[in-house]
Amino acid sequence: MRNFIVFLLSTIPTLALGDWEVNLPRGVTPTSVLAYDLHMLIFYITVIIGIGVFGVMFYSIIHHRKSKGVVPANFHENTKIEIVWTVIPFLILVGMAIPATQALILMEDTSEAEVTLKVTGYQWMWKYEYLEDNVSFLSRIDSESNKARKLNSGVDVSNVKNYLLEVDNPIVLPVNAKIRLLLTAGDVIHAWWVPELGGKKDAVPGFVNEMWFNINKPGIYRGQCAELCGKDHAFMPIVVKAVSKAEYEKWVMNQQNNNKIANKK
Amino acid sequence: MNTDADHLHEDHKTGIMRWITTTNHKDIGTLYLFLSLTMFFVGGAMALIIRAELFQPGLQLVNPDFFNQMTTMHALIMIFGALMPALVGLANWQIPLMIGAPDMALPRLNNWSFWILPFALGMLGSTLFFEGGAPAAGWTLYPPLVLQGGDALPYAIFSIHLLGLSSILGAINIIATILNMRAPGMTLMKMPMFVWTWLITAFLLIAVMPVLAGAVTMLLTDRFFGTSFFTASGGGDPVMFQHIFWFFGHPEVYILILPAFGVISTIIPTFSRKKLFGYDSMVYATASIALLSFIVWAHHMFTVGMPLAGEIFFMMTTMLIAVPTGVKVFNWIATMWKGSMTFETPMLFSLAFIVLFTIGGFSGLMMAITPVDFQYHDTYFIVAHFHYVLVPGSVFAVIAAVYFWLPKWTGKMYDETLGKTHFWLTTIFVNITFFPQHFVGLAGMPRRIPDYAVQFTDFNAISTIGSFGFGIAQILFLYILYKTLKQDVTADNKVWEGAEGLEWTLPSPPPYHSFEEPPKVE
Amino acid sequence: MNKKIKTYYLLTAFTIFMFGFSYMLVPIYEVFCEITGLNGKTGSINSTLVIEKPVERFVRVQFTSNVINSAPFKFSPGKKEMVIQPGKIYTTFYTLTNQSNQPLLATANPSITPGKYAEYFKKIECFCFTHQQINANETKELAVQFIVDKKLPSEATSLVLAYTMFDITKQLGYKLEK
Ligand SMILES: [Cu+2]
Repeated sequence: MRNFIVFLLSTIPTLALGDWEVNLPRGVTPTSVLAYDLHMLIFYITVIIGIGVFGVMFYSIIHHRKSKGVVPANFHENTKIEIVWTVIPFLILVGMAIPATQALILMEDTSEAEVTLKVTGYQWMWKYEYLEDNVSFLSRIDSESNKARKLNSGVDVSNVKNYLLEVDNPIVLPVNAKIRLLLTAGDVIHAWWVPELGGKKDAVPGFVNEMWFNINKPGIYRGQCAELCGKDHAFMPIVVKAVSKAEYEKWVMNQQNNNKIANKK
Repeated sequence: MNTDADHLHEDHKTGIMRWITTTNHKDIGTLYLFLSLTMFFVGGAMALIIRAELFQPGLQLVNPDFFNQMTTMHALIMIFGALMPALVGLANWQIPLMIGAPDMALPRLNNWSFWILPFALGMLGSTLFFEGGAPAAGWTLYPPLVLQGGDALPYAIFSIHLLGLSSILGAINIIATILNMRAPGMTLMKMPMFVWTWLITAFLLIAVMPVLAGAVTMLLTDRFFGTSFFTASGGGDPVMFQHIFWFFGHPEVYILILPAFGVISTIIPTFSRKKLFGYDSMVYATASIALLSFIVWAHHMFTVGMPLAGEIFFMMTTMLIAVPTGVKVFNWIATMWKGSMTFETPMLFSLAFIVLFTIGGFSGLMMAITPVDFQYHDTYFIVAHFHYVLVPGSVFAVIAAVYFWLPKWTGKMYDETLGKTHFWLTTIFVNITFFPQHFVGLAGMPRRIPDYAVQFTDFNAISTIGSFGFGIAQILFLYILYKTLKQDVTADNKVWEGAEGLEWTLPSPPPYHSFEEPPKVE
Repeated sequence: MNKKIKTYYLLTAFTIFMFGFSYMLVPIYEVFCEITGLNGKTGSINSTLVIEKPVERFVRVQFTSNVINSAPFKFSPGKKEMVIQPGKIYTTFYTLTNQSNQPLLATANPSITPGKYAEYFKKIECFCFTHQQINANETKELAVQFIVDKKLPSEATSLVLAYTMFDITKQLGYKLEK
């Protein structure tokens, strides 16, 4: 109990200072930006509706109370207003559906991709295959996180760099190129998700799904498996390194050479 | 009506046998409510194990497999053990009283539908002690993962069959009662709103519980009898399970909320001292929500890779649900408008219901937008959303109903100060628990994980603190119930100044056999 | 008959119907998949597909493979990619090696991506039509003969054919001879 109180007190400065992530990341792909903009649009619409609806409600709660001697009115229907508050929300919804549908059409268009990356989910790691370049490897949680995450490991996880979000072999992808992902799984359903690259897609055993993105900023982007896939579901992170095209080509060459050496052995 | 009279005048036994053999709707309602309350604490304890593990990053208390068993069992127990029995219990107590019937239409069936439940829940709970543990694939039981589990699967599936059977029998009874046993003069469009919502809910139940039974039976035969409904090696498809499951699952969430709407539609007019605004549109809105619930299921699974046309269709139908739901909220507020409000405990819970359920509705509307749902799906944002509609939604409505009708059922008034304290503690802590989950979800925390990256620490810690506060507040609720039953402050027949309806014409508590002579409704 | 009992029977009948309906959803789902190309289930053959003079139009087909539940198979496409013309018949193959010391029974599930074009990809001969028995340490070449419908929409320039190999020896309870 005392620990608990100490903890409570210790959170106060963080509460004040912490730079908390409280929103969707805007992301670095056209699809993630679309999703973000729609998210904010709908959010603001709901906030405005909320202020209106709750405003009326609280006005009524404050003013129409028995303790103020209010005598209840007698009305209990009004066809006109009932039609209005059926039709107006409907129109607002139509207004939301139009940009949403447009975004969806764009997101589902996987044609004309420059790089095809096949992603296979396993319990509990990912396999990546660059179909055009003959490069493939497995990607697992890195060993430091893996040690720290064990029950009662005794490791203070806040000292582990990128705890649970670091892998042994990250994906390397070029920026400003349309990347198509082919997703499937080798055992149960997984889902591949890097928030800053846009949405997620399920990897279903026996079937192949696809999604695409086009990264516009070099950097390292992290994500996780997003579909419950068994006991180590929380421990199959995803790391994407977005680099310039030249760097990407160099990396591919290196990988191919490494593969050759490995095969000779 | 002779067949009822036979049941009604059976000498009822005393002691434990009275409860085991009872066919009286009041006894059975009480049994349901007690079972529900027990399961609420069992499921709540599991939630606290989950929250305790998530208090800090790193694994401190449980291993991941047990954590997954907890999330699975917490959901199954809360849905099938706590919420549904609570709503059926309210139906059992209230529907005959509200429509002026002497009992439920099929009293022996009623006894059966209750007594299946403890055994089914016992079997479900016992799987925790099996080798390999309870099912750990989430309450949605998705294959192939669920098929990997230990020996518990067939038992869990059989218990789901029994739980479903119990709800189906209960639903049949409710429909038979409402359609056949209303007091003379009570036309359908004069029925109290709570009765209407339950009539529609009961139809939903018998439409979808068999579908769940079918889906889990397919799981069973896939695992043990060589069928391949859900595996591609035999021409099946694991995603098909999700379609069948959510064909049940979406109406199921309305099964959990429509009777709650009925409760709120009863309490708001009572404490506003004004008739329910837009009774007719309320009925139509409820019916259209129920109908729409059959064509929106795939919005739970936008990421499985659907054809574009499917994604657009399910997005539009889902958004459409906001219209009748909005009508309901507007009607409640119009009922309060220019009323003469007082704020007793049931009213406070109902007002909180309107605000917090609407917040849950807003996040629901956000996730109807398919391109954004690709981001929200399977994150804590979803967890926050459905807990907002289920806890300050359905659970608050049940608590409000208990405070509202308890004086009628027992003839004793609860302690208003304690009731209000319970309300404020519950409402504050429910928000501390679930509001921060919106933030971690948006920031990228997936659901159903026992451990998380350190940037999610602060909000998870807050959420855990909130959940323990919420749990403690419910112990106060227990105490209030206990105190009410033990004390002598009696309630008069009408209990609430603004109360309207047949149940308030009866003494408090109502006699064991009420309305043996049907009342007249003009 | 008592009205209440009548309601009871009607509703019970409805309940039983809905249980049956859950099983009816299985064929309904299959029809739905076929119409929409969901899951990339490939189309059926039609002899009028072959055309004398295929249009001067080229489509890239990539081949890939998966093995489920780490079954002891090595399974890979013979060719990683082909450039084909709609309306022409092509043949390619996959190699399957049984790396265990037991004979095994295997079956493959095909999937075309993007799924919306799956109906235009027709298999004339395919190892996925039957179960494959494969002896211990044996390597087999598994052929697939296919044609892409000339009606394939013009915006489709690239297709992926994936086969997923399942070990179904246990599932079928098969007693295989050595
Ligand atoms: Cu996974």
